[in-house]
Amino acid sequence: MNIKVETLNEIKIASIDGRIDSTNSGEFEKPIIKTIDDGCLKMIVDCSGLNYISSSGLRVFLAAQKKMKALSGTLLLCGLQPAIKEVFDIAGFSLIFKVFPERDSALNSLSQ
Amino acid sequence: MDPETRVLQVDNNIDELSRIADFIEQLAGEWSFQPSLTFQLNLVLEEAFANIVSYGYDDVEVHRVEILFSYSNPELSITICDDGHEYDPTQRAELDITLPAEERPVGGLGIYLIRKFMDSVEYRRIDNKNYLILSKKTGIETARNETL
Repeated sequence: MNIKVETLNEIKIASIDGRIDSTNSGEFEKPIIKTIDDGCLKMIVDCSGLNYISSSGLRVFLAAQKKMKALSGTLLLCGLQPAIKEVFDIAGFSLIFKVFPERDSALNSLSQ
Repeated sequence: MDPETRVLQVDNNIDELSRIADFIEQLAGEWSFQPSLTFQLNLVLEEAFANIVSYGYDDVEVHRVEILFSYSNPELSITICDDGHEYDPTQRAELDITLPAEERPVGGLGIYLIRKFMDSVEYRRIDNKNYLILSKKTGIETARNETL
């Protein structure tokens, strides 16, 4: 798994590549949680390169969303591959995250 | 026709996950599974195996976990056997996935996903061993989306 965090004005965009499983979910958690702890209130996680996720990764998404909600911030997701989308749907995560088809539509939503 | 069977033995170490994934990949080729099924099997086996590694043992000994795959198209059955603490995941309360993020519990997702992706999940405790038996009809989408 690879994670890259970019800054666009006050928006942080984290792009994930590869798989998030029980062996590496901590490597995903650290930069995501740190970005929020550092004061980011607008964040997009670009999942277009993410090809596998298990509950260990879903837990990180949930923890990040809980933190963002508590701070009245916004966390958006984009680019979920069909298999990942199915896991999000089944886990009920599509109800607790706003998911956009691609990065630009997520960015548009944040700049409105 | 008798089902075809394959057995994988792994240690109770989370790093064995890559061997499990390789084994599923190989089976998927042999048994011509769809990529979506291969994905689901990876997920389901990771959840079951990660639970065993995290909660099955108090000691630092190496324990053997056995995963038996049995396939007679379209019936796929996977039995995961370990000698860890008695644990029946089928007794876990159903997760309420309609709760808002603030109220969602962080745990219980793994078992929930296993239940949703497989057609049936059975548990047996025999001779101080846990047997988790997962079954699924291949090539047929389960009715899980009806609950959404």
